[in-house]
Amino acid sequence: MMATALGRVSRSRSTYASLRLAVLQFIADPQWLIPSMIAPVVFALVSFELFRSAGPYFLTYAILGAGMMSMWGQTLYGSGWATGQDREFGTLEPTIQAPTPYLYVVLGRVLWNVLSGLIGGAIVYVVIVAFAGGPPALPDPVGFALLFVFVMVTLASVGVVFAAFYVYTRYAGFIQNIGEFAFYIGTGCMFPVVLLPFYTNPVSLIFPPTWALDALRYLSIPGYRGFAWGFWGDLLGAVATTAVYLGIAGAVFTRVEHHVLEEGNLSEY
Amino acid sequence: MATALPSAVPYRSAFWRTFWANARIAPRTTLGFMRVDFVFGTTFIVPLTQIVFFAFVVQLGGGGPSEIAYTAIGNAVATVTYSSVFSVCQTTDHEKSQGTMEHLLVSPANRLALYFGRGLIPILLSLATVAVGLVYAAVLFGVSIPLSVIPSLTVSVVLTAFAMVGFGLLLGGVALYLRTSIILGNIFLFVGLLLSGVNFPLSVLPVPLQWAGDALPLTWGVAAIRAVLAGEAFGSVAVLWGAVALAAALSFGAAIGLWEYFERRALATGSIARF
Repeated sequence: MMATALGRVSRSRSTYASLRLAVLQFIADPQWLIPSMIAPVVFALVSFELFRSAGPYFLTYAILGAGMMSMWGQTLYGSGWATGQDREFGTLEPTIQAPTPYLYVVLGRVLWNVLSGLIGGAIVYVVIVAFAGGPPALPDPVGFALLFVFVMVTLASVGVVFAAFYVYTRYAGFIQNIGEFAFYIGTGCMFPVVLLPFYTNPVSLIFPPTWALDALRYLSIPGYRGFAWGFWGDLLGAVATTAVYLGIAGAVFTRVEHHVLEEGNLSEY
Repeated sequence: MATALPSAVPYRSAFWRTFWANARIAPRTTLGFMRVDFVFGTTFIVPLTQIVFFAFVVQLGGGGPSEIAYTAIGNAVATVTYSSVFSVCQTTDHEKSQGTMEHLLVSPANRLALYFGRGLIPILLSLATVAVGLVYAAVLFGVSIPLSVIPSLTVSVVLTAFAMVGFGLLLGGVALYLRTSIILGNIFLFVGLLLSGVNFPLSVLPVPLQWAGDALPLTWGVAAIRAVLAGEAFGSVAVLWGAVALAAALSFGAAIGLWEYFERRALATGSIARF
């Protein structure tokens, strides 16, 4: 009983320590926010210009899309780096040998990635509002804020799975750089996924943020036409897929740890 | 029998040897993208996903087929930035992190050969990227590319690739003085989408932003390619070619000038590796 309690404390302490270290690294070198922010700000401005004559709620599209891209970018790059940094610093082996499961170390880093993505999203919001001359109309600001936090949780779940997958591959850089636009398209960052050809929809629905973002648009854009199952269906799908992702992440990390401890081949990848 | 070089005669490595050595080695070392997956992704995946992304944004914004075709052409050309500007400007970072910067600066290698050699593979990759992008634009978004314009189009694309690689080398020169080139690389990777007439005409932007756009080689490259595809008269296309060529010459010239300046400073202060 005592051991279990201590184990839990150790895990939460590891996550907190990992989060704290990520914050300190960011403060020491905050330039990493810039790469994940430049593209969304530019895309937001381009979209704003392209949407300019398409009605008042298209400002929400531009802001939501670009903010989402900022958080996606941070998740995509940050999660790759979550395990990549251990490889580069030579701390992957000692960290995995530690009594605390590696998942809880990565979780702290992923949480910071999502939070810093949110900072990027806030900067995008300020820039676009400054260009547009005022904030967008939101029918339900409180619901929007709550759902936005949930979108971050869905992104974090994807981030943890990516981080687990990146332990096994040397193609993390490829996925991040080459797949960036594909993720933006597939999850409907800037436009509803229903605009894409129908046969692509099942692929999009694999990702929790697709559901959550569609729900967010239903909430914030009157007359929005997303998936046929509507707001509550989106919300249910987002919760279910997020749970599945977290389950997969836990299983993969456990397998990774067992595998590398048995085989002793962590450095070979 | 070995013969010593006369000490009074400075050793000069052959221009072409330096050129080819850099052309072959740089992609595997300082350019850092000479992996099959990256070449494949940059050439075939990035143009497709970028064009599709903006095409759907235009569609959502109420744009019709002509607006979508406009965006498809612009983004097909803009993808040149990945292999030309983003990769090339990071050569400085790689030289620093690999510890080869000091050796490079004290080597007698002909600098012109060195820079042109480094630019060779990115230029070829840029040509491939734009060509594939234009094929996507034609096949998926109905952009008309008559066979009769292919020679003029080729000239436009080649000039654009040269100009963009020159611009990448220029940014690499600026990055000598920065801690990292990643910020510069990211800025110029995406800023062209806003300021170079890629997604909408430059004229819709405020005048200061139009001036900023005019300073980018991509703006002239996009304009030249659009003019060719629109079937404009040779005279007006030639003027745009002149602008792209001028941008290329200025970029390469400024890059070499900047590197020479920093080299002199490095030799005088011994501080180039401090960043």
